[in-house]
Amino acid sequence: MILDPILDYFRGKAVTIPPLDGAFRPNTRLDDAHAFVALTEADNLAFRNGTLIASSGNAVYTLTAGTEPAVLESFPSPVTALAVSPAGELAVALETGKLFVGGKEVALPSAIRCITALAYGADGALVLANGSAKHAPSAWAADLMEKGASGSVWKREAAGGDFREIASGLAFPYGLHPVADGFVVSESWRHRLLRISGSGAPKTVIDKLPGYPARLSPAEDGGVWLSLFAPRNRLIEFVLQETHYRLDMMAEVPRDSWIAPSLSSGRSFLEPLQCGGIRTMGIHKPWSPSRSYGLVVKLDAGLQPLFGLHSRANGTRHGTTSAVEKDDTLYVASKGGDSVLAIDIATAEGR
Amino acid sequence: MTFRERLQAWRYNLIPDHLVGEILTKRWTDNAIPFLVLVVTVASFGASIPGFFKPYSLQESTRQLGEFSVVVTGLTVVMLGGGIDLSVGSIFALATFAAVSTFFIFEMPVWVALVAALATGIVCGAINGYLVGFLRLRAFLTTLVTFIIGRAIFDILVVNYGADIQTSMASSDAWDFIGDGTVFGFSIPVITAIVIAVITHVALTRSRPGWHVLAVGGSRRSAHNAGIRVKRTVFLTYVFSGLCASIAGFLIATRLSGAGPGTGLNLEILALTAAVVGGNSLGGGRGSVVKGLMGAIIVLVMTNGLIRLGYGTGTNQMVLGIMLAVAVTIDIRWLKNRHKVLNEVYVAPVYLKMGETQSALPGSGTAYALDNRLSEADHIGLGELEGPEDVILDRNDHLYCGTRHGEIVRFFAPDYTRSEVFAHVGGFPLGLAFDRHENLISCVGAMGLYSISPDREVKKLSAETARSWTSVVDDARLRDPNDCDIAPDGRIYFTDSTKRYDAHDWALDSIENRATGRLLVYDPKDGSTKTLLDGYRYLNGVCMAHDGKSLFVAESWACRVHRYWLEGPKAGTAECVIKDMPGYPDNINRASGGHYWMAWLGMRTPSFDLSLRHPGMRKRMTRRLPQDEWLFPNINTGGVVKFNDKGEIVETLGDLSGNAHPMVTSMREHKGQLFIGGILNNRVGRYKIAGADESWTGPASYWGGAQ
Repeated sequence: MILDPILDYFRGKAVTIPPLDGAFRPNTRLDDAHAFVALTEADNLAFRNGTLIASSGNAVYTLTAGTEPAVLESFPSPVTALAVSPAGELAVALETGKLFVGGKEVALPSAIRCITALAYGADGALVLANGSAKHAPSAWAADLMEKGASGSVWKREAAGGDFREIASGLAFPYGLHPVADGFVVSESWRHRLLRISGSGAPKTVIDKLPGYPARLSPAEDGGVWLSLFAPRNRLIEFVLQETHYRLDMMAEVPRDSWIAPSLSSGRSFLEPLQCGGIRTMGIHKPWSPSRSYGLVVKLDAGLQPLFGLHSRANGTRHGTTSAVEKDDTLYVASKGGDSVLAIDIATAEGR
Repeated sequence: MTFRERLQAWRYNLIPDHLVGEILTKRWTDNAIPFLVLVVTVASFGASIPGFFKPYSLQESTRQLGEFSVVVTGLTVVMLGGGIDLSVGSIFALATFAAVSTFFIFEMPVWVALVAALATGIVCGAINGYLVGFLRLRAFLTTLVTFIIGRAIFDILVVNYGADIQTSMASSDAWDFIGDGTVFGFSIPVITAIVIAVITHVALTRSRPGWHVLAVGGSRRSAHNAGIRVKRTVFLTYVFSGLCASIAGFLIATRLSGAGPGTGLNLEILALTAAVVGGNSLGGGRGSVVKGLMGAIIVLVMTNGLIRLGYGTGTNQMVLGIMLAVAVTIDIRWLKNRHKVLNEVYVAPVYLKMGETQSALPGSGTAYALDNRLSEADHIGLGELEGPEDVILDRNDHLYCGTRHGEIVRFFAPDYTRSEVFAHVGGFPLGLAFDRHENLISCVGAMGLYSISPDREVKKLSAETARSWTSVVDDARLRDPNDCDIAPDGRIYFTDSTKRYDAHDWALDSIENRATGRLLVYDPKDGSTKTLLDGYRYLNGVCMAHDGKSLFVAESWACRVHRYWLEGPKAGTAECVIKDMPGYPDNINRASGGHYWMAWLGMRTPSFDLSLRHPGMRKRMTRRLPQDEWLFPNINTGGVVKFNDKGEIVETLGDLSGNAHPMVTSMREHKGQLFIGGILNNRVGRYKIAGADESWTGPASYWGGAQ
């Protein structure tokens, strides 16, 4: 109605989020998927010499079907990101902000304290995403609720030398993917992907994502796998607009009980509940609003979404932070569901 | 407490925002806009036209107004029935001609002239009614056609016989009196208009044919399905409209003693504008005679005022057109958006700072610590039952529970696999209790307090209490009767949880958190219902203490339990015995060993407790988010708490898995077993209580007799 802009002043504009439709149409493929291995807080996946490796807690594990995860390397504090160089060298970032490449600590500029993603370019340059200038990676919820936008992307050339900042002012960069002339970065709090090229400002490649994007990884057909670790939720977006409530919540409420996205939900009765999430007649509605969700989206070579694999509100494979592909199989780390899943890509596409 | 928080507390607890929503639920708010326009119109023309309120001027205006109102009243009835009558102007003119020709040309008595006029109106109305009502032609086109034809006939008649009327010498005192005289200062047209308006109003609001008209206008199909003779009703509205137009025609005939080409010209436009501007819906079903009258005054004052201020016909028509357009727009937009406005403003949260609570986390070591014991309960009626809010067992061990379909279901002992519908009550049966004579007393959500005899006869005991003086919406009606219990003397004590929300919207009351819960007592001796306590935040479970001298009552949203004294020095007063629980209490029932069971329907969450201190945030949340997205207390986890006579917690049971009993609204102990109900659950649970007295039953505890 034409009067809406005027009335909105009095009644407040409705808080809306992009619908799960089109390429994001929900399914239950993550929940239907076969659990490759159970791994507590499985996070960043990668392939090293043809073997699947995953970070979990303070260690990096090698994963093979049918056996328990084996520790590849352990560290004094939780691992927050890893990457494998073209030469097979392992780069690992820790909660404390330290970076190890090939087992040796790398000196970092003091501004880097929150490494959320690592990636090697085709030429061997190492790129890292620094999620926030203020918070450690585990305090990501605080960064979101403070509307943080202090993230940055740094690059070290293949020849060596120091890390150099190539983008700043990002709202929690959480995934990196090398492309021909630079890198694609997922910017979580702004629900979008950016392309950072050698020169010029970052360009938005895709925005209005229905969730908070996490890591990116190449698909074998030239596309990209994008993991989204939590859904957008209208109540959370509303709370982000409510300054007084939000500040009081951060000051007085334990972080696990915040009205904030989460890697898993429904585990404690102290968590917030929304009307739609009420269990009625034994049913938890899959389409109900939720603080956690599992979603891995396939993007084509032009970075446009093709289809997704979902674990819905009533599912358990939530908090999908990473997905990698090898030999027509997609491996998905569900950090909230404490497992790594293996999915046949042909069936995942639903063809 | 910060200054800002204190300010919020004052702002939201002292300013009664909820009244806006309550007033909007009233039908009479529809009258507010037309009434405002009426006042403004009369005041502004009264001020700008000298002598507007002089007796003579008023007398002439009111004569005209009287005739006009009669026409508008008729048209209003047609519009209420869902039709429209454009032919009122031509019927009016034809009736005028019939009256003057009978009186002046045929020189008949006045009453014959009146009969002729009325007959003309009724016949014309009947033609309209037959075409629209019985032949189902479109009202707009049909009456447009009869308007054109009627007008044409009138023009032909006036041209041919106008001169005869002018030259006639007929006269009559009665004729002149009707045209010029007054009774107690009121002219005949005004008296006629008032009489017709009163009769029509009474008929529409208090008689069967009137209700039929409104029903047909509101929804033709529903009216037909309800057995109303739609065609005849529509037919009669047009006949009535024709009759009204002809009465007005007769009145103007006596006043002007003649008929000319200008008689009744544009009357249909004026009448239609008046009816719509007054607030009668073009879609039918909504409106009243009073609205029509208000519209008539507005339109007439406006047109006459404009003429006296020296504006020409063009301006006049223009103003009428604009008024009609505005009125139609408001009508449509208001009808379409009223419920949206109401939805947006109805929830009016208040400020509340909840007390610090003990932890209920497993392993926290408090008496409230929840465990997973209830998940071991057997299930009864899984998948067959929907919403057993309360459960109860009789002396023969049969199990009874309500369902959301308004039924009381009975499961047969000993295995509870067979069931039958014991009685159909309707509403949503909530709290249950057996009285001394084994009648099942139930608080039925959205209905009231009911009694079901052992031979299944359903009887209403109470559905209302005394209305409070300050209520806007009638709070005598019981909106959410929730739980009941019976004193040794037979009086039934029960709660009505909220005055603000209907039974199925009970959870919304937690968002608003306004204290409107009541404790009531029904006395079977004289059938009266009295309010004992008022102003609690969702009063819920009621349980008579083992000694029968006091009762426990749960205040859900405040997480408290009160003891209300029935006798002794504190009789008639309530005191808080358990406060600041980590869960929201629901029903309370007796346990063996002199203890009590209390259900927790949900758990407090830190985020929701904080939102209670931010009423503005909750208000905006209800306006900016759809209901499914609203922040609720955590009613996905409940529990069962056992406490003693002093209000000390003995133990707490829970189902942290959430698979069997996520929310618990009731539980009954019976022969060492605990039967568990949940308003949103699809089963009744049966849990073996370790170490309980295996002979203890509720009926024996209340009414004695064999264990």
